[in-house]
Amino acid sequence: MSVLYVLIPLALLLLAGAVWAFFWAVGSGQFDDLDTPAMRVVMDDDTKPDQEDTRD
Amino acid sequence: MMTGDKNHKTCFHCALPVPTGCELTVQIEEEQRPVCCPGCKAVAELIRDTGLSRYYDLRDAPEPGVGRPPEEAAEWKVFDSPEMLDAFTESHDDMREATIYVGGMYCSACSWLIETTLGKQPGVASAEVNPITHRLRLRFPAREASLSSHLATLADLGYQPQPLSPESTVRPEVTEQRTALKRLLVASLGMMQVMMFAVGLYSMDFQGIDPDMQHFLRLVSFFVTTPVVFYAARPFFTSAWRGVARRKPGMDLPVSIAVGSAYVASVYATFTRGEAVWFDSVTMFVFFLTLGRFLEMRARHRSIDRSAALSSLLPNTATRIDNEAHVVVPVSQLTTGDHVLIRAGEAIPADGVLASGATSVDEALLTGEATPQTKVVGDELSAGSVNLDSMIEMTVTSTGGDTTLGTISRLSERARYARPAFVTLADKIASYIVVALLVVATGVATFWYFNDPDRAFVITLSVLVVTCPCALALATPAAFAAAGSRLSQLRLLVTNGNAIEALSRATLAVFDKTGTLTIGLPRITAVFVTDNAWTEKDCRVIAAALEHASTHPLARAFALPDELPVVTSHEIVVGEGVRGIIHGREWRLGNASFIGGVAEVNDSAATHVFLGVDENVVAWFELEDELRPNVAQTLENLRGHGVGTALVSGDNRAAVESVASRLAIDDVYYECTPEDKLAIIEAAQKRGEKVVMIGDGINDAPVLAGADTSIAPAHGALLAQTSADVIMLGDSLSPLTTAVEMSRKTMRIVRQNLAWAIVYNALALPLAAAGYVPPWAAAIGMSASSLIVVLNALRLNRFE
Repeated sequence: MSVLYVLIPLALLLLAGAVWAFFWAVGSGQFDDLDTPAMRVVMDDDTKPDQEDTRD
Repeated sequence: MMTGDKNHKTCFHCALPVPTGCELTVQIEEEQRPVCCPGCKAVAELIRDTGLSRYYDLRDAPEPGVGRPPEEAAEWKVFDSPEMLDAFTESHDDMREATIYVGGMYCSACSWLIETTLGKQPGVASAEVNPITHRLRLRFPAREASLSSHLATLADLGYQPQPLSPESTVRPEVTEQRTALKRLLVASLGMMQVMMFAVGLYSMDFQGIDPDMQHFLRLVSFFVTTPVVFYAARPFFTSAWRGVARRKPGMDLPVSIAVGSAYVASVYATFTRGEAVWFDSVTMFVFFLTLGRFLEMRARHRSIDRSAALSSLLPNTATRIDNEAHVVVPVSQLTTGDHVLIRAGEAIPADGVLASGATSVDEALLTGEATPQTKVVGDELSAGSVNLDSMIEMTVTSTGGDTTLGTISRLSERARYARPAFVTLADKIASYIVVALLVVATGVATFWYFNDPDRAFVITLSVLVVTCPCALALATPAAFAAAGSRLSQLRLLVTNGNAIEALSRATLAVFDKTGTLTIGLPRITAVFVTDNAWTEKDCRVIAAALEHASTHPLARAFALPDELPVVTSHEIVVGEGVRGIIHGREWRLGNASFIGGVAEVNDSAATHVFLGVDENVVAWFELEDELRPNVAQTLENLRGHGVGTALVSGDNRAAVESVASRLAIDDVYYECTPEDKLAIIEAAQKRGEKVVMIGDGINDAPVLAGADTSIAPAHGALLAQTSADVIMLGDSLSPLTTAVEMSRKTMRIVRQNLAWAIVYNALALPLAAAGYVPPWAAAIGMSASSLIVVLNALRLNRFE
């Protein structure tokens, strides 16, 4: 059990690191747009431009 | 998505109705799609040819007209001069960064389209769009030194780009979202960690405790909970304090008391090795509350998007006259006293006084008045209105935020930024409950203090947490927020939450005519050819050619896709019509006296435009403002829901009655002044009717404010929109029926939620007061009851 005295503070350090990284990411604007990235996954297949001629 | 009904084809790209006779189509994904004008065709083809057709599948339904490119390409080259580049970009090493406001973007698919298209352009290092603020950050190598090509690309996509001076500060809504995200993250990570330690602490209760380990776990929980309380929960404390200072305690007060006292007691217990700690309850409570606030903020931001679009109504540049020389300057550099030149078709860049020339202007944006206003020297011109007929010079009297347009924009922005009224109402109810709750809690604390002082604190804490009026306070706003978000998908923007309640009780819908029941754009309903030498088709083509260069609102009715004959010596006569030479003969199009002939027309319901050649009348066109699609069906449905219909208009009798008879409206009032309209509505309210007013003009503003609920179409006057509870984005009136059904369903859900919250509190309070509910169970009960309320409200999102 005494290993917890080491592991838990270690976990807290990791937590602090994660929070710091997230704050940095938010501050640099990476989370300003919460909608488009979700869409980009669906849309960014390399669609080739339509090759059909335009009959109109 | 893009389904117009059979009689009314709508443009695949911009959703405006396709003019009769227009046969333009674009092939997208194996199908021929109708478009309304060559501009939209070009945009749709550009999007298809860059392989981005998926944009059309993923975008939200467009607001009609948004995305339609202007008829004349704007001049972007001015932005390439070194002075302009310095004014509109920032240099970072060998990169330049420009901030561009993108008018006309309305959903995430737009930002994807913009980022992808610009990202593929040579010479673009990065392009990032912020969909909250509609701002594009474009970075390109300094040696490229060209902003114009990128602006032109945006314009080609159908957006209205507007370079902004570099902003040193981040927009307030962005800062708000960033802070809220950080708070949410701290609360959620903190909650997860503390829960984990709590599991250890609880299981040790059963298995026997190693006191040192218990102390250690409590200490660790204390470390994690502290930032949750002091950082994530700070808004609740400040808001509770504001409530106390203003003597209007809100629901944040018991929240703060519960969080604060549980935290202090837990800290005390930790350091004195006391009985129990409640760090787990504290963090869970804070997390759920923070999550709720975050979702509420996102909904609010979505509804203010539109007000930002107002700044794009002004042109980017103006032509200033400096000692006879014409200098193109950014509008932001105009100052009072400047002389500016405004060509026909250009928007007026600032408020001012007409200094030379005469013209007519379209002030529909400000006043909702579709008829052009004639202006002579000395008349005032308002920023944002469009110069229609001829080149004029103007002396600037006020610019930017000081203009009429600026003031109206600010008003409407403030109206939207304000917390929706229903939250205030819920807060009012909650504050009574809060006071009652504090009294009960004090009673419980006193009772247990004298009977079992050891348990007094725990029980009081449980009472405070379990009876937190969250479910009660959430019952109404959660349902209204869900209804609001569903309604916005159905193209109705709710700006005042009370509107939903009022709408659910509506018994009478009062309509304005022009621009509300009708589209507000005239269409040719009949052509009378008086000279047999010409066919109807000839007349249409010649009229279209003459009107082609005119920006007059009536001109749009004549738009034809065919090849048009060349017009020379084209001239617009202010207030009269247009003339020009086609195939060597002088043609005129305009009012009867302008042509020179007199025609027998005695039908005041329609507008007539005459076509003449060499001073002889050849034909006349009957133009009528067309009814919106599905109006008759919508009114029928409304009556089916027990909502009566009435038509109140300032127009003359013939015009109003012709519309009323086609729609089977019984209550018809014509030639009404705004005072008359208000009186009609007040009389109806005295009879006990709940009135919904649907109108778009600036003169409708007081009437809209007087009705129980008011709805304004988005293309109407801005001032009408500021006083409206609901803004109708679409071209069709059919969402009205949906709105009534939706509001009734919403009120049903609100009643269910309130009933549940009351039953829950009635059951939980005695149990907690009797000491049967430990704080962690109280926290779960409180969260669960709130969750049920929210989930019930979310059912509204699936409303069809």
